[in-house]
Amino acid sequence: MKEISETDELKLVEIKMKVVPKESQREPDDYKKKIFISKLIEKGKSLLFTILGLSLFLLFWSFITSFTKGDLPGPKATLTVLFEMLRDPFYDYGPNDKGIGLQLMVSLTTVLKGFLLGSIVAIPIGILMGASNIYRLLFYPIVQLLKPVSPLAWFPIGLVVFKDTGMATVFIVFITSLWSTLINTAFGVSTIPQDHKNVAKAFGFSKMRYLTKILIPYSLPHIITGLRLSIGVAWLVIVAGEMLSGGTGIGFFVWDSWNALSLEKVMSAILIIGTVGLIFDKIFTIIENKVSYK
Amino acid sequence: MGYLEIKDMEISFPTPKGKYIAVKDINLSIAKGEIVSIIGHSGCGKSTIMNAIGGMIIPTGGTVFLNDKKIKAPGPDRGIVFQNYSLLPWLTVYQNIFQAVDAVMTCSKFDKHEIVENNLKMVNLYIHKDKLPGQLSGGMKQRVAIARAFAINPSVLLLDEPFGALDALTKGTMHLELLKLWNLDNREKTIIMVTHDIEEAIFLSDRIIVMNDGPSATIREIENVRIPRPRNKLDIVNSPEYRAIRDRLLHLLTDKFSIEDLGIKYKN
Repeated sequence: MKEISETDELKLVEIKMKVVPKESQREPDDYKKKIFISKLIEKGKSLLFTILGLSLFLLFWSFITSFTKGDLPGPKATLTVLFEMLRDPFYDYGPNDKGIGLQLMVSLTTVLKGFLLGSIVAIPIGILMGASNIYRLLFYPIVQLLKPVSPLAWFPIGLVVFKDTGMATVFIVFITSLWSTLINTAFGVSTIPQDHKNVAKAFGFSKMRYLTKILIPYSLPHIITGLRLSIGVAWLVIVAGEMLSGGTGIGFFVWDSWNALSLEKVMSAILIIGTVGLIFDKIFTIIENKVSYK
Repeated sequence: MGYLEIKDMEISFPTPKGKYIAVKDINLSIAKGEIVSIIGHSGCGKSTIMNAIGGMIIPTGGTVFLNDKKIKAPGPDRGIVFQNYSLLPWLTVYQNIFQAVDAVMTCSKFDKHEIVENNLKMVNLYIHKDKLPGQLSGGMKQRVAIARAFAINPSVLLLDEPFGALDALTKGTMHLELLKLWNLDNREKTIIMVTHDIEEAIFLSDRIIVMNDGPSATIREIENVRIPRPRNKLDIVNSPEYRAIRDRLLHLLTDKFSIEDLGIKYKN
């Protein structure tokens, strides 16, 4: 062993003098407070930038408004109408005059129906495609063929099959919800590491145990990502779908307001649609973080 | 006929360039309760032999018999500890062991939980039972993997470089842990272990199988370790048997011992 020289010892004393008193003085509560404050600063910073971004957006919007010489309603006019709409969202004066809340409920119900049905179909097929080469070969060409088709092109088919515009709208949401979920699920399942499969093999896991203890836990984060993308697209499609189907829903509301030349309402509806989409995305991001196991 | 009997085993894999023979002409007879190490350079088919005994792969030639029965698939009579622990990261320590026990054993749920608890206590991890593998150190993960293999009470324990990723101190403790478990079980379990570490092999094993380099690896030599048990790490390193075996193994596995052997002149 190397002997400690005098200078080394001096250094040691120095280090002790520097470090030890600080360490003993530091209270654990003090430390927690520091972390809390630094987190608060971080939060404040991100809030500041969000506000800055939104202000830039409003500025740009006002610019476009003045550019179109007031044809496009500005932020102030739109927000006034928006608050007007939100003050009584659930009024119902007959089929052509309903509150924005009711319209939104109709759209949400349609989207959730289509999305749920789509997920119920897409997840098992995705699992089959990811787990077995035969199913992958069987389904992959169909997926590739149908995925690029615009969801609206399915509307007539829905009408023919269901003879009902409401059902046809659910149908197009259903079709759109399939692809991202399907592809992400299949990808998740196909990337299960050999290590995990070896555990199942070595300890003779049954199919059911493999499914519930290895396959699903491993691919769940991928599945949720797929669902998040799917519901995003579904919400995108519903507006266009309801413009075609008419009657009710936020998409119909946009079209109806345009026909009534109430652009403030159109702009308000756009803001609402955006907010709802944002909320969907946030919900799924939270779930995504919850189920990731690392 | 031995308890575990490997006869003329050959294992090959199809590759785009043709058949790749990993190991061939493997003949081995292992008695019940024996501890055997397989040692050799990387890629000499050590893990392949282990996988064949474990039933994870089927030999392309020859057969492996365990207790006079041909091995065709993994079974509850063999517990495997994989090279990289292979714990399921989303299950707690407890659940990792329980799922294996639940899949393999036929006893009641109550007994299964008791088995898991006993095995966790045996490797001193009971207080960590609710942690996820990601929260454990390498040595702790290794102990979970060993507890999992022990929990299904196999008659053969297959360890594929079990201590490879551990630091020297933890490794030393784990050697004693393993021998303790083997001893507690009346030395009835047969242990087959793949390793790179000569000292580890001598300290633990009754026999050491030295492999030739692959491809088409064969058994080069089998060393008997006649050091009486219980072995004391401090004492045996000075014993002549230990030195003789270590020197022989070193010669078998290494052909260059100094940079001068590489043709480099050492400057004084």
